[in-house]
Amino acid sequence: MSENHIEHPSPKKYVQIAIVLGVLTAIEIALYYTEDIVGVFTDPLLIILAVGKFVIVVGWFMHLRFENKLINRFFTGGMILALILFAIVMFERASANFL
Amino acid sequence: MTKIIEPKKQSNIFRRPSSETGIWSWITTVDHKRIGIMYGYAAFFFLLIGGLEALVLRIQLSQPDNNFLTAAEYNAMFTMHGTTMIFLAIMPISAAFFNYLLPLQIGARDVAFPRLNALSFWIFIFGGAFLYSTFIFGTAGAPEGGYLAEEVGWLGSAPNGGWFGYQPNAGMKYSPGTAMDFWAIGLQILGIASLISAFNFITTIINMRTEGMRFMRMPVFTWMTFAVSFLLAFSLPIIAIALFYVTFDRKFGTTFFLTEGGGDPVLWQHLFWLFGHPEVYILILPAFGIVSEVLPTFSRKPLFGYAAIVFAGFGIAFIGFGVWAHHMFASAISPVAQAGFGLSTMVIAVPTGVKIFNWLGTIWGGKLKLNTPMLFSLGFIGMFVIGGLSGVTHSVVPADTQQTDTYYVVAHFHYVLFGGALFGIFSGLYYWFPKVWGKMYNETLGKIHFWTMLIGFNLTFGPMHWLGLQGQVRRTWVYAEETNLAFWNVVVTVGAFIIALSIIVFMINWIFSKRNGEKAPFDPWDARTIEWTIPSPTPVWNFSKAPVVKSLDDFWHAKYGEDDEGRSVRRDSADQLLQELEEEGLNPSEDIELPNPSYYPIILASGLPFLGYAVIYYSVPLAIVGTLLLLIGGFGWGTEPLEEAIEELEHE
Amino acid sequence: MSSSHTYPHEPTGVETRKLGMWVFLSTEILFFGTLITTFMIFKGRDFPGMKLTDVYDIPFTSISSFILLMSSLTMVLAHNALEANDQEKTRVWLLATAMLGAVFLAGQIYEFTEFYHKGFELGTNIFSSTFYVLTGFHGLHVFIGVVLLLALWSIGQRQKGLTLEGGMNLEFVALYWHFVDIVWIVLFTVVYLI
Repeated sequence: MSENHIEHPSPKKYVQIAIVLGVLTAIEIALYYTEDIVGVFTDPLLIILAVGKFVIVVGWFMHLRFENKLINRFFTGGMILALILFAIVMFERASANFL
Repeated sequence: MTKIIEPKKQSNIFRRPSSETGIWSWITTVDHKRIGIMYGYAAFFFLLIGGLEALVLRIQLSQPDNNFLTAAEYNAMFTMHGTTMIFLAIMPISAAFFNYLLPLQIGARDVAFPRLNALSFWIFIFGGAFLYSTFIFGTAGAPEGGYLAEEVGWLGSAPNGGWFGYQPNAGMKYSPGTAMDFWAIGLQILGIASLISAFNFITTIINMRTEGMRFMRMPVFTWMTFAVSFLLAFSLPIIAIALFYVTFDRKFGTTFFLTEGGGDPVLWQHLFWLFGHPEVYILILPAFGIVSEVLPTFSRKPLFGYAAIVFAGFGIAFIGFGVWAHHMFASAISPVAQAGFGLSTMVIAVPTGVKIFNWLGTIWGGKLKLNTPMLFSLGFIGMFVIGGLSGVTHSVVPADTQQTDTYYVVAHFHYVLFGGALFGIFSGLYYWFPKVWGKMYNETLGKIHFWTMLIGFNLTFGPMHWLGLQGQVRRTWVYAEETNLAFWNVVVTVGAFIIALSIIVFMINWIFSKRNGEKAPFDPWDARTIEWTIPSPTPVWNFSKAPVVKSLDDFWHAKYGEDDEGRSVRRDSADQLLQELEEEGLNPSEDIELPNPSYYPIILASGLPFLGYAVIYYSVPLAIVGTLLLLIGGFGWGTEPLEEAIEELEHE
Repeated sequence: MSSSHTYPHEPTGVETRKLGMWVFLSTEILFFGTLITTFMIFKGRDFPGMKLTDVYDIPFTSISSFILLMSSLTMVLAHNALEANDQEKTRVWLLATAMLGAVFLAGQIYEFTEFYHKGFELGTNIFSSTFYVLTGFHGLHVFIGVVLLLALWSIGQRQKGLTLEGGMNLEFVALYWHFVDIVWIVLFTVVYLI
């Protein structure tokens, strides 16, 4: 079990990661208040930032980077399936409601 | 022989259950075989109830303008028939097969999480009981502009909005009373049960395979279990949330699916069929798996195109997620979506066709033994092809809008779910009967069962095709005399009773053979997969020592070699091998560690119906009782020592 | 576990329970996916003069989001401490995580009451319904997480302390907790910022 674990990062590393997360959050909030300046780029930037935070937490805090590929495939598989299905539903509803 | 070492310290709420026979041993069991058997009996009980509901429907429709049932009662009956057959009969019967066979087929001692397995079974039982308690507690008032309250009666007090629960029809306005709440929350509970078993089976298949059991050596039934578990794991969460919304709409004044509050009834259809279409494959894929085991065994040939069947199964599962809106062609969805989903529906016929050809290729040139399991499998292929072909006709959107809501559709899905799934299930019930009970079933009665069921089935659902094309509308309690639909409706009703007769034959065979049947050898069919290398009935510990698998159809290759021309020839050593296996199977030479029985699964599961009633009656005390049961069950579960009380078999 | 394993479990080399946990989390994606989809579809469908977005308190929510984010750090530190078998530190970080989670929950309760007093009930309009159900469903997950953390913490008080072996151990609670956190990362953007 734990013998064949790949070495997990040190506490110092975790704190650094948390600082990065905090900074990204700060940027998100800043973007919210500067929507008038940033304009149409606000929403895409917000989504990119959220995805970035998501990946960091999953990869480092949940140790997905250090886990077996199998688990990785599972999680990303579920993710992709959900994204495709729900994208179709959203587009279908949007087009049916406004056509 | 079997000895239980008592736990040294009791730090838990209850003493650990220790009885090995009697009712408590069944209630606390975590043995996958016992759970499988209980699943089977419970599901068959619900199959009988669902069948009775179908007969009641058919009596009503046997003549024009009949008044055997009121409209309200008819609504309740067809809703409960559909809901029961799908969620309480076919799904759990498949679960019975999964439970019993999966560990045996991959050479494991039990599933990955035995207690979770028991939990999932008890949640299913409580969910079913909760749903059916609607006949005691439920009320279905008179909807605005609908039938009168006095027409509802006892039979009509069940859920009446259809198994698909379309909104806003299933909302408070058109389905007043509590009946549809029982439906929504009952399905929610049943969903939890299936979801838990899906996690369990996925993990089991990935991680509990015995040595040498690579993925591409697994029996097809195991593969189909794998595919079904994925479908369950990824589709049930969607319906769970949708049912939450329904419950909120009905009980707490939200308007998720009600246009008057800005909601979207078509969204319900999307969410429902996002689950509902994978559900169709959840029902049929286990039968595919069973048939893929039975056909090679009774054709005495390897399965034709093993890899193709496996990949086709996963192809079906994957594409099955992308065809849901073909149930909604008559709803307000956009033309682009109609075209897209029409296409994907045609595409899914391809992997299904691949499977059919594989099965035909398996039979081709084989030395067929027409025992009852084989008959049912052959019947399955025939009936499923008919149902599959009428299914493809639905992918043509203009044709589909003509057929929607007629008996043509009813004929179609009964050909796939009865002629397909149920025939496959009966095939499996006969095939593994000797393994489970150690007795042989009666072959003559089995064949009578098959032929009466085949005839009854076709009399029932064949004429529905033309009734539908002539315009008989489904979910409608009467038809007028002038429509000239009476003749075929009589035929259909007669057919339904012939099916009932065949089920009685089946039950007689089962009860009689289980008691007085001939003793079964442990490999009665000269089979191919490793569950037949152990004694019948299966010993508690399954395999005396972990089997080592060297190839696909391992057991067959142990018994048969090839001559110079590549034909299978039985090895001289085969009989001796069988004898050795039996000897070894009954007398394990090493200590065996089995999972321990537990009270907590049933305690935990019993909390859920209380929470359900609490929502229906806005009752805080019931909610507290339910939560307490969950907490006690959860706490006991978490603190139950796993490493103590190891059951050992001491061999002397 | 006992030493007499007769079976070669885990041909994949992944621990069975951990695999089960990840399968569970994968399906959780579909739960939240459905909720978020509904939220997106209904976004903007509020009645004139009754826009929930007008009463959002972004600074407040930002702080509580930050608190939940940092609870992931304390969680991973607890995990790290346990890997080094430092029981004392493990307990401290566990309790810190539970407390941060509780603060987040308190914030959510405060937010809900504020909105309620401003006239947004569950059924006021479709947008408030989706808002309450979506964030409430997440809140329920946080609540369960806090209960699990406190249970772990109290087990840690015992003489034997915590280990990374056996049933519902720290590693699984940690995975669950981080998952709850990443869901909020998405929700914070989708519900509040966009």
